[in-house]
Amino acid sequence: MNNMINISSGPHVRDRWSTRFIMVIVFLSLMPATIVGVLVHGLHALLIIVLAIVSAVGTEFLFDVLCHKGKSYLDGSAAVTGLLLALSLSPDTPLFAPVIGSIFAILVVKCCFGGLGKNFINPALAGRCFLLISFSNSMTVFKVDMVSSATPVAELLAGRAVNVTSMFLGTSNAVIGSSIAALLLGGLILWAFDIIHGEICFSVLGSFTLFVALFGGQGFDPVFLAANICGGGVVMGAFFMATDYVTSPVSKLGQMIYGLIIGVLGGLFRIFGSSADSFSYAILMGNLFTPLIDMYILPKPFAYRKKAIARQNGQPKLPFSKRIPKSVLVIGLITLLAGAALGGVFKLTEERIKEQKERAAWQSYQAVVPQAVSFRAVAAPDIYGKIYGSSFGRSTINEAVIGMDADGKTVGYAISVTSSEGYDGNITISVGIAADGTVNSIAFTELHETPGKGMLAADASFKDQFNGRAVTSFKLLTTGSVEASNGIDCISGATVTSKAIVNAVNAALDFYNNAKGVQ
Amino acid sequence: MEVTFRGGIHPKGCKELSRQVPLIRFEAKGDIVLPLGQGIGKPAKPTVKKDDLVLMGQIVAEADGFISANIASSCSGKVKGIEKRRTISGASVDCIVIENDGQYKAVEGIGVRQDLSSISNEQIVAKVKDAGIIGLGGAGFPTHVKLMPKNPAAIKYIIANGAECEPYITCNDQLMRTEAEGILEGLEIMLRLFPNAQGVVALEDNKPEAVEALQDALIKRHAENRIKVLPLKTKYPQGGERSLIQVVAGVDFPVSKLPADVGCIVDNVGTIYAIGRAVAYNEPLFTHVLTVTGTAVKNPGNFIVHNGTSVAELVEACGGIKDGVTLKKALSGGPMMGFAMSTLDVPVVKTTNAVTLLAEDEVEKAQSQLTNCLHCGRCTTVCPQGLLPQLMADAVHVGDLERYEKKLYGLECISCGSCTYVCPAKRPLTQIFKQTKAEIMAIKRAKAGGGK
Repeated sequence: MNNMINISSGPHVRDRWSTRFIMVIVFLSLMPATIVGVLVHGLHALLIIVLAIVSAVGTEFLFDVLCHKGKSYLDGSAAVTGLLLALSLSPDTPLFAPVIGSIFAILVVKCCFGGLGKNFINPALAGRCFLLISFSNSMTVFKVDMVSSATPVAELLAGRAVNVTSMFLGTSNAVIGSSIAALLLGGLILWAFDIIHGEICFSVLGSFTLFVALFGGQGFDPVFLAANICGGGVVMGAFFMATDYVTSPVSKLGQMIYGLIIGVLGGLFRIFGSSADSFSYAILMGNLFTPLIDMYILPKPFAYRKKAIARQNGQPKLPFSKRIPKSVLVIGLITLLAGAALGGVFKLTEERIKEQKERAAWQSYQAVVPQAVSFRAVAAPDIYGKIYGSSFGRSTINEAVIGMDADGKTVGYAISVTSSEGYDGNITISVGIAADGTVNSIAFTELHETPGKGMLAADASFKDQFNGRAVTSFKLLTTGSVEASNGIDCISGATVTSKAIVNAVNAALDFYNNAKGVQ
Repeated sequence: MEVTFRGGIHPKGCKELSRQVPLIRFEAKGDIVLPLGQGIGKPAKPTVKKDDLVLMGQIVAEADGFISANIASSCSGKVKGIEKRRTISGASVDCIVIENDGQYKAVEGIGVRQDLSSISNEQIVAKVKDAGIIGLGGAGFPTHVKLMPKNPAAIKYIIANGAECEPYITCNDQLMRTEAEGILEGLEIMLRLFPNAQGVVALEDNKPEAVEALQDALIKRHAENRIKVLPLKTKYPQGGERSLIQVVAGVDFPVSKLPADVGCIVDNVGTIYAIGRAVAYNEPLFTHVLTVTGTAVKNPGNFIVHNGTSVAELVEACGGIKDGVTLKKALSGGPMMGFAMSTLDVPVVKTTNAVTLLAEDEVEKAQSQLTNCLHCGRCTTVCPQGLLPQLMADAVHVGDLERYEKKLYGLECISCGSCTYVCPAKRPLTQIFKQTKAEIMAIKRAKAGGGK
């Protein structure tokens, strides 16, 4: 038997592409973003990246050893997951986060579901969202010059201008891998190697852009659109996360529908939601649609397609003009329908939302001026809706009302004021002022700050500090500040929120003092 | 614009090893071993017995039934017996063993030019049948059956398949260069049977010399009206019957249909050349072209080889195994669709178009790189049938043969190997599909049998 030659089933030659080769290419394609991230954010960012990769590969190694699963940790996919996770974290994340995130991504999302190719959602994104939900306080720390500040998307959500150029280059205050230029370069590398295809990337970006343009309230303003695309992980999502082989559909048409779902959900969360991390959730939800899409959208073999059957029956080829690709029509139709449905819902609800907002405002007036039985609005159209003064940050007086008792005597004032400098969007407060100028109390009509931090503003411990004080302005006391008679204690860990609220209340007080006597 | 089909792959051609080596006739000295079953259909019935003297070209086994083909002796000598011998597929089957006298004395009348002007269509088919011609491209379907479709007038294209898309193989390239006229003559003879058909010689554009030779021959024979030469993009599996029909006639059709159902007949250029020889020169099929090549062969070459020649003797004639390398894999045919042989001590049959000897076992290497499916979709992109190999493999994995067959059209797989070739996870997809198809067919047969 020594002369026998090995036999095997064909084909007997194989392409040199292997799983590891693909993973190496993906890893390399992320290098530009990694390098820019480390250069901009420094050593801490590098440490986060290294820790994430080491923990990811280490977790898979341990799993392989303990469960006798071969050597899958060597295929490079764990390293890619670790790197992707690190790139989607804030450069100021505490160092335990990348470790825990990687362990969750690899152990729970990947290994427990059967390892490579069996995960039902993108492990890196799942790890990120796990961290965001579990450790929301430490996850959303973004510092510039050691001072907490909002991410570009948070700024954008708050209606402020953002620096698109710095977002494009990656020097803005966002996650480590936020350099759009570097990510695009990486995407180009993947595209050149035919690892990612246009179907997903462009349907995600296209539908997201269209959605933002239609419902973002600023139309096709190029700067606004660019800022929305460049921020919040949209580009990284479209090129590196949504295109993940395992969690995206098989067929081209399925991929386009999947991209559309992610783009629309991403836009929906971005415009109507409040979280800056919404795109991650959009992709995870898209991932969950994949099995459903693969169940129903299966391309038929060439021989069973309608055109082929017509040809088999002797019908000639149609001229080109009559051969509009069906997928284009279908995609177009779906986009239109989805757009129309969303627009319709928006229109239908718009009026009611406005009504409810008004009712909420009036209810809050009642709460802050309890002595009043009726209110009447104060006319000051020159002031309403514009940034008020220069020393109150970006605070806007929405409306002021005079509260009257049963005899029509003025018993107090309520002023609705919005600060757009909240950590996560707008903060709207109704400030109640008694007839003698003492602050009755304040009430929030719009507040969506970080849970456990900025949200503490609504607690009595913070907001009742204003009650019953007769001052012309309040002063925010941060650590090390000297006590003052007009001092307000800052919410620990939520300087941004506290500052915005104090500014807004001061704006209201200033408006009250200047407009005293206006009836 | 390059003419081609959808999907397909670009494996390394490796044709430079042998593509410029001219065809030479190889006359074996050792015994000639003729397996009774050489292609699709019933094995032939021997018409000789032990110690009979036979001449080259003499029919030694007769077709048994409609789908079956004659076998002619490929040498002169004495019949040693009819015994079980190991063949290329690895199975031991009945073979006529002829002690080769080395004279290669032919039956009288073979090679004599015939007058074709008065020959009838029936006579053409009869001659092809007598000559024992089967498809030389690999499947080995009896050619005379292909020449008798239900409705000859509905045949629109006769496609001479010179694509030779398998890596390494170059014998048809050489055949088209040297015997372009003979191929065209065979094609013209076939066209006589099909009044409405157009002849197309289709070949990949990596054979410019063959294209030129065919075009010259076309002009020489004044056959431009009915035959055209069609260079195609070099891409595997361009030479697949369905790929060719897709390109030439623009039709995709399911495996349940035959090419004739969509108005096409496809034959290998070697087969068509054999038809020409059989009809115009009374020559039965006992020689065909073959390439001995691969990274492990000392002097790769192209041969006109006699049916039944020992592969080992052929390889010896090429200088044997290259110094300093180990023969890791021996293939009958090319590396994509060829079969691995466990020993070289087997006879060449009509359908053996190449012996490829490889110094590296890529399958073994691939097995060491096996991972889970990544769902990368490369298999889907390359499948020339438009199937979804990754989902098909998943369906087989969970034992859902119903989904495999009905939802994923798994029986449409033509086993071309493209999906396995590109799979980065190195999954043996083609092998899985071959087994599954066989399993489903067996279940169907059992059901049909049970119904009786």
